[in-house]
Amino acid sequence: MAEMTTSDSGSHKKGGKKVRSKKMSTRVDLTAMVDLGFLLITFFMLATTMNKPKTMEVNKPAKEDIDKKDEQPIKMSKTATLMLGARNKVYAYVSPDAIEAGTEISLDSLDYSPTGLRKFIQRRQKEVQEQWGDKDQLFVMIKPLPGSNVKNIVDVLDEMTINDVKRYAILEPNDPIDSLIALRTGQSRK
Amino acid sequence: MPKVKIPRKSTSVDMTAMCDVAFLLLTFFILTTKFRPSEAVTIDIPASTAQIPIPDKDIMMFQIAPDGRMFFGLDDQNTRLKLLDRLSTQYQLAFSEDQKKAFRLLETWGMDIRSLPEFLDMEPEKRAGFNQPGLNIDTTGGQHQVEDLILFSRQENNNLRIAIKGDKTTEYRHFDKLIQALQNRKVNKFNLITSAKTAQE
Repeated sequence: MAEMTTSDSGSHKKGGKKVRSKKMSTRVDLTAMVDLGFLLITFFMLATTMNKPKTMEVNKPAKEDIDKKDEQPIKMSKTATLMLGARNKVYAYVSPDAIEAGTEISLDSLDYSPTGLRKFIQRRQKEVQEQWGDKDQLFVMIKPLPGSNVKNIVDVLDEMTINDVKRYAILEPNDPIDSLIALRTGQSRK
Repeated sequence: MPKVKIPRKSTSVDMTAMCDVAFLLLTFFILTTKFRPSEAVTIDIPASTAQIPIPDKDIMMFQIAPDGRMFFGLDDQNTRLKLLDRLSTQYQLAFSEDQKKAFRLLETWGMDIRSLPEFLDMEPEKRAGFNQPGLNIDTTGGQHQVEDLILFSRQENNNLRIAIKGDKTTEYRHFDKLIQALQNRKVNKFNLITSAKTAQE
């Protein structure tokens, strides 16, 4: 305020000594601005989520395809069935081509670790390789029981990718063998 | 001998360039940041070795909570509005402009479609704290609410991809209901959302 009045009085004086305003440097101290800038950068860097979630594509056979049964049924000896149960259990079996009275099916109770499920799939791939000369002939049927959870399905689908299983499908556990296994292992089917 | 005088240099550095860089980076981060949308429920997604990143747009997302509650979300606000129009004719619900505006900003929701107007009338703060009961997937009485959502959304946007975000511990029976609904609408291809697994072979 005081400065205002002095400059005012100066302008009134005509013909007096010209009042030269002091030349000010145009430089501004930018330190504070840079500080602020980097602070905000830090905030946005930390707030950005860098790892985007990934997706896993699932293809289900169309319902009409299931209904029409004119296709050649796949040989059971090329298959492996995985039943996903509650409490992180997988029940794996191979059904024989033809079921007779004396047929016995060996049932493996596995977990999702590399030594469990992965071993089974690799063993089965080797068997199919020996029998049919091509391990890609293996067809894995994934049958989740109601008690299994989403993580189990993701894990199984992951194993398919890891072991390079070309053919697999998520199916309903509606085979008589499935019912029997569910009953024997105490897994609910509803 | 004359004394060699070292001229005193100013310690202040020109900050202009540094400031430029700082704000350039700041602009970059502001523009690329996409804040995580508010979610109706926290979902802990399972990890997998899948490498495909989730697409940026045209996503129809279903979320399934561990207790089986299901939530629905579209990423595009215009598609959301179109969907609401379709729902209002299908379910004979009249939505006011305010309700439409609220729905347009709704990232995910899960409730019976017929209780939507009531939900949209709530104050935003109250709405955020409201415990949503989940979509009505029950098909008794010939109603197909989830199927309708799938059908209408896809009719409004042909390129929609369907993503399912299920919690690790969601039981398959909840998951199966959704898959049945999708397959009833002839959707046989969908994406499961997973997080990247840290390498352990």
